[in-house]
Amino acid sequence: MRPIAPFAAALCFGLACAATAGADALTDRVVDHHILPTYTRLAQETAAFAEVAQQDCAPTSPVLEEAWGRAFDAWVAASHLRFGPSEVDNRAFAIAFWPDSRSKTPKALRSLLLDRDPVVETATEFATASIAVRGFYTLEYLLHDPDYADLGTAAYRCALIRAVSGDLSANAAAILTDWQDDFAAALQRPDQQANPRYRTDTEVHQELFKALTTGLEILADMRLGRPLGTFEQPRPNRAEAYRSGRSLRHVQIQLAALRDLARLLTAGDPALQAQLAGAFDKADRHAEALSDDPIFAGVTDPQQRFRIEALQQDVHDIKTIAATKIGPSLGVEAGFNALDGD
Amino acid sequence: MHSRRKFLAGLMAGSLAPKATWADAGAPAFLSAGRDELGLFVIAGLSATGAVLFRHPLPDRGHAASAHPSRPEAVAFARRPGRFADVIDCRSGAQLARLSPPQGHHFYGHGVFTPDGTRMFTTENAYESGDGIIGIWDARDYRRIGQVSSGGIGPHEIRLRRDAAGLVVANGGIETHPDSGRAKLNIPFMRPNLSYLSLAGEIEEQMELPRDLHKNSIRHIAVRPDGTVGFAMQWQGDVGADVPIVGLHHPGRSPRLMAEGDPRLRNLDGYGGSIAFSGDATQVAVTSPRGGVVHVMACDSGALIVEHRLADVCGLATTPGGFLASTGTGTVARIGAQTGAQVVPLTTAPLAWDNHLIPLA
Repeated sequence: MRPIAPFAAALCFGLACAATAGADALTDRVVDHHILPTYTRLAQETAAFAEVAQQDCAPTSPVLEEAWGRAFDAWVAASHLRFGPSEVDNRAFAIAFWPDSRSKTPKALRSLLLDRDPVVETATEFATASIAVRGFYTLEYLLHDPDYADLGTAAYRCALIRAVSGDLSANAAAILTDWQDDFAAALQRPDQQANPRYRTDTEVHQELFKALTTGLEILADMRLGRPLGTFEQPRPNRAEAYRSGRSLRHVQIQLAALRDLARLLTAGDPALQAQLAGAFDKADRHAEALSDDPIFAGVTDPQQRFRIEALQQDVHDIKTIAATKIGPSLGVEAGFNALDGD
Repeated sequence: MHSRRKFLAGLMAGSLAPKATWADAGAPAFLSAGRDELGLFVIAGLSATGAVLFRHPLPDRGHAASAHPSRPEAVAFARRPGRFADVIDCRSGAQLARLSPPQGHHFYGHGVFTPDGTRMFTTENAYESGDGIIGIWDARDYRRIGQVSSGGIGPHEIRLRRDAAGLVVANGGIETHPDSGRAKLNIPFMRPNLSYLSLAGEIEEQMELPRDLHKNSIRHIAVRPDGTVGFAMQWQGDVGADVPIVGLHHPGRSPRLMAEGDPRLRNLDGYGGSIAFSGDATQVAVTSPRGGVVHVMACDSGALIVEHRLADVCGLATTPGGFLASTGTGTVARIGAQTGAQVVPLTTAPLAWDNHLIPLA
């Protein structure tokens, strides 16, 4: 059994580790070249989408669809960054409530449409609506599911699309503002006394590493694992965003985002970077080969299913590299309790 | 066997001298199992503010412990499927005895003494049959004096009732066999329950959740002074399902599930590690090392009040002002029970704290 990287943090205790705070190149790189650009793009694309929705709110509008798609892409690229400002006031859940195992989004959407719920009338009101109807997946039903095309009135559907787009934009802007005003500094300047969130660089690295492993888990267990189900019971209708044909696209976008984060976390270790690049390349190739099945419908066909399983295995392989190489290189490990609880 | 006789003789002789009590100086406020810098396993005594007072080596990974109600000693249990339980003098960390379950059994990691300190109960797996067993020990000399059914498969945490004389056992429902390590053998058919037993071992009441939650393994429990049992679960079903992880049950009434519908439930990753009530009994908290979060919920409304982030947090104990938590990165932290309250780290030791933080008398 190897001794125990997290204790690097403990060894700092009482010593002068805090003196190095703010000078951590790795954290600076990830914040400046990954996190802030990712959330900036999300804020910009959701704002652009909200503006488009003000001009053209017809669910069949190609302009609206395109702006929604660009904003959704920007969210998927951010969806592994689940800490700090995204978790305040359930913002991330309000932006994207998925998976929706109890079908809360369609149920809540249906009742809004049928009741013509006035909650859509102001942004303040709409921010109090169920998080299940406030995000990208609600819009997917409105834009892509024929069952909702005639529910309620056209005017109400328009108001709802505008309300959701405005709420998305407001949430994305709030996340970005919090990062810029406060949270980037909290990550970049850990302190034993003055920083309530992060006491040491190791704790910060642990958070950034967790974002990588969280993203890989979302990919393997959710975006790929939910439609795969089991061989006996595949679940094609659990594929994310299959109504709009975006399931594979989301996997590809998230792979690209995680590749970027992994590269920044391993700067200075060319051998490890090369190994990661090879593993991500392989996943990208397998994903590209699935372009004839963008919604993973093949999970039900043994002849097709193995291709999706191969992609999932690629993600598991990247997870293994993360756990055995990246974590130790950062002085963090998968948790003693988290890994093997009881 | 010979050495145990000597030990027993020593215990008997010792009983003639003035008895040591928990009031004797130097006794710790908490116990926790852990792993040290060298990768060796220990049980450690901690002060009320998280300072390590002693470490006692364990032969393998530990789990929880149980304190004797009057004598300053505690029993540290092996993590499943381990077969040791070390009796420790909590003033010094010295080992007083080592217990083993009968052939064909292993411990699940938890146990409890009777209020009068005469007997101790341990949760065990009779693994050839898969039956859940409560082992009964004479707490004067730690002789095995009997065993009863736990009322289910996979009994994990066991506690005393506080509304009546008796025991409450979380039967996790999961069958395992040491030959297949920690592999789960019966997930499609598992049926966890809470079982209430008399101190004589008779099953008096059992609580099962609705069928759609049968894959939610009831694993850890805390008991409020009024007898309400808080239970923490571990979901074995589909990843991505929205399921409650904490419930409250008062014997004779219907269970109540906590924080249902709150999206932050997902941040627990389907896994409750430890559960405790707040010092004023108005709140209940659960840790999730997988999610790196502590959720504090209001007992009356069932609402999730505050979510704290703390990497690899698992151990959790009641304190007068709220909670104390411990982590696999060696931190012991005070957890506020109010909205906006912070996690206040108290100590960081070069130890990975294991699942549970055990308050002593």
